[in-house]
Amino acid sequence: MSMPEAKNILLSELAEGLQASVDFSVTAQEMLEFATLSGDFNPLHIDDAFARDRGFKGVVVYGALLVAKISQLIGMQLPGRNSVWASVSLDFRKPLYVGQPAQVVGVVNMVSDSTGMAELMITVRAANKVLAKGTAQVIVGR
Amino acid sequence: MNSETIFTTLTAIFHDVFDDESIVVTAQLTAADVGEWDSLSHIRLVLAVEKKFGLKFSAAEVGRLKNVGEFVTMIQSKAA
Repeated sequence: MSMPEAKNILLSELAEGLQASVDFSVTAQEMLEFATLSGDFNPLHIDDAFARDRGFKGVVVYGALLVAKISQLIGMQLPGRNSVWASVSLDFRKPLYVGQPAQVVGVVNMVSDSTGMAELMITVRAANKVLAKGTAQVIVGR
Repeated sequence: MNSETIFTTLTAIFHDVFDDESIVVTAQLTAADVGEWDSLSHIRLVLAVEKKFGLKFSAAEVGRLKNVGEFVTMIQSKAA
């Protein structure tokens, strides 16, 4: 199995405003796989009728799957292979639904030379609405 | 900015970073005195100080520091 190759952006190459994004949508199969992986079988995420009965348009994608896409963004694109995640803070504002096209965007908003740390502003959007917003701190290779 | 104000601010940062309210921040304090002071917490500490005081340090400047007292002196000189 061939694996996609991660980018390698070094600390000296990071500048405030630099950004990257990942387009994605979550399938019903991925929802079931995550339920098994996490042990979270909350019907809000797996039972369409239950979710609709509570005012949603269908089952709600696990917030952790949005975080998984942030992981992809950081580990594969910005900064890529020579980085390690140090923190994430995320506010979930609106639900994402299964099959709905979405995009996670990371924008560098701080680079600290003394610590080798960069901070990204993270935004997850779908249908021109912000679904989640927060920050992630990443230790970056020099 | 006087050193007393800086020590007060640093104390709050140390308590948060190391999750230990018992740490007494003095000029003589070093990484060896704080059990949880490892490389990652060091990064968190310096980053928190940069953010709180609105300052930027270089890796060389931070690498030269021998104790918290020298850190306070550097903050004072950069904030002046």
